[in-house]
Amino acid sequence: MITDQSIFQAIALTLAQAIVLISVAPAIVGLIRKVKARLQCRQGAGIFQPYADLRKLFRKQPVVSTTASWIFTATPYIVFASTLTAGLLVPVFASQMPLNFAGNILAFVYLLALGTFFLILAGLDAGSSFGGMGSSRESIVASLTEPAMIMAIFAIALAAGSTNLSTIVHKTALLEGIVTDPSSHVMALAALFIVTLAETGRVPVDNPATHLELTMIHEAMVLEYSGRYLAVMEWASGIKLLVFLTLIANVFVPWGIATRVTPVALSIGLAVYVVKVAGLAVLIGTIECMFAKLRLFRVPDLLGVAFILALLGLLFFYILRG
Amino acid sequence: MSWLSPHIATQIVDFSSAMLLLTCFAIVAQRRLSACVDLFALQSLFLAMTAALVAFFTGTRHIYIAAALTVVVKVIVIPRVLKGVIERLNVTRELVMRINIPASLLICGALVMIAFFITQPIIPFGHLLTRDSLAIALAIVLIGFFTMISRQKAVTQLIAFLVMENGLFLGATAATYGMPLIVELGVFFDVLVAALIAGIYTNRLQDAFDSVDTTHLTELKE
Repeated sequence: MITDQSIFQAIALTLAQAIVLISVAPAIVGLIRKVKARLQCRQGAGIFQPYADLRKLFRKQPVVSTTASWIFTATPYIVFASTLTAGLLVPVFASQMPLNFAGNILAFVYLLALGTFFLILAGLDAGSSFGGMGSSRESIVASLTEPAMIMAIFAIALAAGSTNLSTIVHKTALLEGIVTDPSSHVMALAALFIVTLAETGRVPVDNPATHLELTMIHEAMVLEYSGRYLAVMEWASGIKLLVFLTLIANVFVPWGIATRVTPVALSIGLAVYVVKVAGLAVLIGTIECMFAKLRLFRVPDLLGVAFILALLGLLFFYILRG
Repeated sequence: MSWLSPHIATQIVDFSSAMLLLTCFAIVAQRRLSACVDLFALQSLFLAMTAALVAFFTGTRHIYIAAALTVVVKVIVIPRVLKGVIERLNVTRELVMRINIPASLLICGALVMIAFFITQPIIPFGHLLTRDSLAIALAIVLIGFFTMISRQKAVTQLIAFLVMENGLFLGATAATYGMPLIVELGVFFDVLVAALIAGIYTNRLQDAFDSVDTTHLTELKE
């Protein structure tokens, strides 16, 4: 039964989730940078520095290459919108999102892939050699992460009996009608963590802190962007990182999320969410300090591990429950 | 333990044995020898944790001793010996392997499936809290065996041997809640001695052939 009140509630929840994703993303990026700086015995910029960077970029006048087509100027907005839409399908602080009718895991994965596709096109569009190189590398990484990512979430989806992220999170949070199996859970979690590092361009795969042509993947594609386009692009990549961290935090460890829509449950859910995501950000910062970047031709080995682990996670479900 | 349901206890033990399997894959995918040794130490730590958990949930006291010995021998002593060997050999990474890493990983995945299918008929009959760990133990033994075959450097073969031994220990803990203490002590002593001898043997191999590639052993030499 759809009432005015429930529609209002749905819109409010969706808006709140969008606002949380958009506003927390730069802080997470700042937190990772801060953790890295502290571990390298540097003071580092404050956690809120990315907000200042974004404001500065929005004020600057963008420069667009004369050879660039409409794809170049449209891409930042497409990437931003597709990433945010994918983010709205993942439960952030309330386990049952109103938008969950709109899509499941597959929609989530391919919304992100749509953003990546346009990013690759934009890298080629400006006609600089670095952009094309970055695009070529990104397409290798993207094609290898996709199967691992889908299988990792499927392993969990099988246990919950649904491919809908809200249902998975809701059932796991209440431990309702599902038997989570530690071995497949651990395997899928490890796989998804590797995929997160690869997809969001973190250290073993890509180095977000350099502009060295030998190492950059994501940076090479956005090299031609400036001003507000760059700001939107950076913000979108921050949101993508946050969405992946949310996925890990809420699909694998959903406890604490609001399972009912009451003010108390929602505020607890939000607080728990911020703590979980911040913890994951600290973990990523620590990993970035401990490991060196892999050579590009070693990346398939790492993603191969992710794929095999995800596959095993999926098969364990059948074998152990079969 | 009465305050914890057997189901939860099984899940905790399963979780820590799944971590063992995870480190196994990390060892297979790793090229740097010193990182392999670190991963082996980490795996042994998870093994000690699993053994301690089994001891805690079943109240079998002597497994605590085995867990403590695992920490001393496999987490501290053997990794140190191996690090010493690697430092002396001056080799940092393995570049020669018979099967490349992605293929090895796929084969290991298949081995894990085989292990699970083999133990499948046994599992419903067991009423122990470590039922699933038996399959994981067999998988670890198979992966260790495969790594021993597929690698050419003596150091990685030694690590693979130790991984196999970890799998056997997990299997013994899972199937019977630990062997009698005297047997455990004997096994620990054997493993320690085997690791030391293999370390010396690796050094001799390096002196004789200027390489730790075991394929040289098939050549005749004055």
